[in-house]
Amino acid sequence: MKYLLFKDTKKNMEMLRKDLPARYAVEADLKDCPAGAAYVTNDKKNFIYRIKIESISPYKDQEGLFKKRQTGLKSILELSLVEPVEPVPLSEFKVSGKKIKEFADFTVADLEKTEFKEKKSYSDDIPKEISEIISIASKRGISIPVSVAEDLAKYRTEIGKEGFNKLLERVYQDLETKMIDPHEAVGIIAAQSIGEPGTQMTMRTFHFAGVREMNVTLGLPRLIEIVDARRIPSTPSMTIYMKPELEKSEEAVLNLVKELENTTIIDVADIVTDIEQMTLSIVPTARKMNERLVKHSDISEALAKVKGITVMHDEEGKEIILKPQQESFKRLYQLQEQIKVLTIKGIPGIKRAITRKDPSTEAFIIYTQGSNLKEVLEVDQVDSTRTFTNDIIEIANVLGIEAARNAIFNESERTLSEQGLEVDQRHLMLVADMMTFGGNVRAVGRQGISGRKSSVLARAAFEITTKHLLRAGLLGEIDPLTGVAENIIVGQPITLGTGAVNLVYKFNRK
Amino acid sequence: MAKLNVLQHELVPAHHVVKKEEEDKVLKELGIAKDLLPRISRSDPAIKALEEIHGPLEGGTIIKISRKSPTMGYSVYYRVVTSEVFK
Repeated sequence: MKYLLFKDTKKNMEMLRKDLPARYAVEADLKDCPAGAAYVTNDKKNFIYRIKIESISPYKDQEGLFKKRQTGLKSILELSLVEPVEPVPLSEFKVSGKKIKEFADFTVADLEKTEFKEKKSYSDDIPKEISEIISIASKRGISIPVSVAEDLAKYRTEIGKEGFNKLLERVYQDLETKMIDPHEAVGIIAAQSIGEPGTQMTMRTFHFAGVREMNVTLGLPRLIEIVDARRIPSTPSMTIYMKPELEKSEEAVLNLVKELENTTIIDVADIVTDIEQMTLSIVPTARKMNERLVKHSDISEALAKVKGITVMHDEEGKEIILKPQQESFKRLYQLQEQIKVLTIKGIPGIKRAITRKDPSTEAFIIYTQGSNLKEVLEVDQVDSTRTFTNDIIEIANVLGIEAARNAIFNESERTLSEQGLEVDQRHLMLVADMMTFGGNVRAVGRQGISGRKSSVLARAAFEITTKHLLRAGLLGEIDPLTGVAENIIVGQPITLGTGAVNLVYKFNRK
Repeated sequence: MAKLNVLQHELVPAHHVVKKEEEDKVLKELGIAKDLLPRISRSDPAIKALEEIHGPLEGGTIIKISRKSPTMGYSVYYRVVTSEVFK
């Protein structure tokens, strides 16, 4: 459905609301506009009023008109309803299938509301016979992996009921011997299992396999980066997938690349400072302009947003001359710096984007230098269900803590396997779970997991001993001696294995 | 698609709200007190998306998360909503 969007003040809307039906004169020419519903915004971002327009007629001076201003009025709207609504963001409206980037005072647009749906549980997709086996097993107190249940399902009909029960029994026995024991120090085992192969990792960062000079941090530095939960990784990079219907078209992919790459003025033009005239002139380079698909008008549009300058064109229409309104060298210099990094098009943060064809599926995948997950996911051509970044903190902010947990796991596994190291996935899962336990991504180390242990002695044994002991002394902290490190310090058996249980022997006197 | 629905993203596992009546059953099964469960912030994008469906979620609501697991096929995890807002 088509809606008319326009900007107005809250005060005007409240006034109209009081005496309905009302006739409202506006300055825009809305001859060809459809009557019907309209949305009104007061800040160009969120639409807070819904109004109903009975008809639209050309402006005539008549009585009982509500006017916003005295001159330049062109149309009269007949309103029958004005009501405040839950704010509708501008991003929900579309003009001919595309999102509105800039909103002028009057626009006709379609409203497309996103329906929020819960994702189906993965367990719901499992065939009935397999989930039946899993539930039989869980009744006995043992959870079996789906892959094992699949194998069992194959034999279930073949061997009959009795044989199947026997088989189940054997599976239980096998699983029990392989299950980790209660009170096992899984954290320490994980630490060793990641740490030992970690010593084999190279400090070198490799080139991005076979693709133009793009570097991504790999190996040990990357692993350290992941567990340290750095705010920004040293080489942020995104993997962008396109919508399935577009991903095989080379043309669409190249257009998207051009749309994503952040182009600033310095990328396509030279900036010359004329100190005598106190002006800056922008000299576009034709080759660079073609390469980045930038038009002359794009530059002018970008410059229109800069305040406090006068924009002039030279006679041939090649150069663009800028003059700061305030005449000082300081301002001229500031302007030059400001113009250099002025975005013409593209998404901020995406420095470069390259494409690669996946040989097996023939689909194009875009890799970028620099990352801006939120804005890339909102681009129409991008498949917003698969695209991801290697910046874990960014994932936590945009997609949530569970996505960050999966990202930590995926990234650390990829880093290790690229080096040819095999670390059991369970260790990495434990690290990922611990790092996201508190609802935000926490580093492993002094500032994170280790520094927040409840035991004073365990913290003191790790790093900054005096600080922890002093603080504990001042605050009167109590250490219940339940962990490993603190029991070693005081010379007690640790609470693992046989130390985990207290055996009391009742001597039977005869 | 106008607004981004984070719940559809591949990296985000299925989040479901555990009903108030079922909370005790879940906690008993896990043998754990509610405040010892892993947390999820109220400002978490996944919780925000769930709020679009279920209305406001109070602190203390238990969220059932069924993850895809490379070792088990799928695994179930629980988090409790905290009113703590990070950053």
